[in-house]
Amino acid sequence: MNRGVLIAAGIALSLAVPGSIQAQRGRGGQGGAPVTPKAAAPVDLTGYWVSVVTEDWRYRMVTPKKGDYPSIPLNAEGRRVADAWDPAKDEASGDPCKSYGAGNIMRVPGNVHITWEDDNTLRVDTDAGTQTRLFRFAGSPNSSGAPGWQGNSAAQWEFAGGGRGGRGRGNAQDRGGDLKVVTTGMRAGYLQKNGVPYSGNAVVTEYFHRTIESNGDSWLIVTTMIEDPQYLNQQFQRSTHFKRLPDASTWSPSPCTAR
Amino acid sequence: MRVPMLLLPAMLLSCVAAFAQIDFSGEWAPRFYEDQPERVPGPELGDYLGLPINDAARMRADTWSASIQTLPEWQCRPHSADYIWRGPSQLRISKEVDPVTRQITAFHAEWLRSVDRTIYLDGRPHPEEYAAHSWSGFSTGKWDGDMLTVTVTHLKEGYVRRNGVPRSDLATLTEHWIRHGNWLTVVEIVNDPVYLTEPFVRTTDYELDLHQQIPPYPCGIVEEVDRPEGVVPHFLPGTNTSLAEFPAHHDLPAEAAKGGAETMYPKYQSKLRQK
Repeated sequence: MNRGVLIAAGIALSLAVPGSIQAQRGRGGQGGAPVTPKAAAPVDLTGYWVSVVTEDWRYRMVTPKKGDYPSIPLNAEGRRVADAWDPAKDEASGDPCKSYGAGNIMRVPGNVHITWEDDNTLRVDTDAGTQTRLFRFAGSPNSSGAPGWQGNSAAQWEFAGGGRGGRGRGNAQDRGGDLKVVTTGMRAGYLQKNGVPYSGNAVVTEYFHRTIESNGDSWLIVTTMIEDPQYLNQQFQRSTHFKRLPDASTWSPSPCTAR
Repeated sequence: MRVPMLLLPAMLLSCVAAFAQIDFSGEWAPRFYEDQPERVPGPELGDYLGLPINDAARMRADTWSASIQTLPEWQCRPHSADYIWRGPSQLRISKEVDPVTRQITAFHAEWLRSVDRTIYLDGRPHPEEYAAHSWSGFSTGKWDGDMLTVTVTHLKEGYVRRNGVPRSDLATLTEHWIRHGNWLTVVEIVNDPVYLTEPFVRTTDYELDLHQQIPPYPCGIVEEVDRPEGVVPHFLPGTNTSLAEFPAHHDLPAEAAKGGAETMYPKYQSKLRQK
């Protein structure tokens, strides 16, 4: 067989190896050090982002009245709890942050700042409610202690063409992909500011995508799926969009409010 | 023997592109977990919340009368490509596959109340500027990793909210199709130099439903209202008193209900608190 043909076939075969295989190897190639999740990122999510409220405006920009939750698939127990909402009680018990937990924080209008806490942990700060979420990839120590509003978030990259994992090799940003985050262990909170509940057993699965538009805009798309048999009669999904900002000029931290 | 061996690298390389494709075909059921009141029963008159519209759009919407839908010329109008994602309709996506390369060359999207919409993936150009416009527009797609980015041009005039808020026929639409398992998320970005001051972005979710069948939707025209020939239902500017009912009913400032880009951003909440 012609040697040139063999070489060309070999190159083509190496290119054709599914992304899943390359992504899970966890080595920098040629026996090098493992590639960290930060270095393996198929998409750059860092920076300042602002929520652009074109959906559910009446449920996000203002606090809806008690009992107004037509978009949320609550079961009977969920409706009972929502209909008993009492913001004064939340304030009195020192719990004004119930609607700022991981089950709803991405729906709260505000600015979001995404940075790398370390090579294995992506950090998300919100100015609304001054909350911090930590997305921990494999290799990052688990948080411990009592459940918090933001719970424990396990992160993994999803590489275009298939493949998951916190580590990978090759030029990941050329391949593209998204971030998957699964959050558990939260304090019970609200899916909507007017007391629509989620329980401490809820599981929040999120996918973070980034788009780049021809006019220079860039959008962060967060798809959130919530499973909570205690209060929901089916899986509840929302998708939320944020526009990339050039800087921190609109960053304006504010405390949680119950009303 | 020599020729097939030379073709081998090219064949294998063609597989690389295929890895970046995801199959969107299937029966997709809308899930109204966002904006349910607007999408299912329908928006209230005067509800322009969160829309980056200008004064011209506001004037068109304020003078719109729902009775226009009873005109024979309007009864069978399908929703346009940009609005239909948000409408109360089931969705079927099918694919066209090249029999030789086995690559997906096009997707077809079809809703209960729409015309077939083709999204070409074969690299063809968009038509000339003065080519005919249609309800579905002209759509081409390209892969961005596992995300499909679709560019839509040549749309007929439509609406961004079905209470009369217009979208012009000069508007273009960019879509990003994203699939995670049984869930489809579509990002829509409408650019309209006539009626919008900023791009209008929405994200909408569908769930795969293997039992779904979209029924036929033949549309017949009837005379619904006995009115003199040539009458087009409308309100003159400033005469539709019903517009004030929406903000009053929901305890919202009238100014917020009028929309505008400012109302989309979190900073507007501080203005709301002052009112």
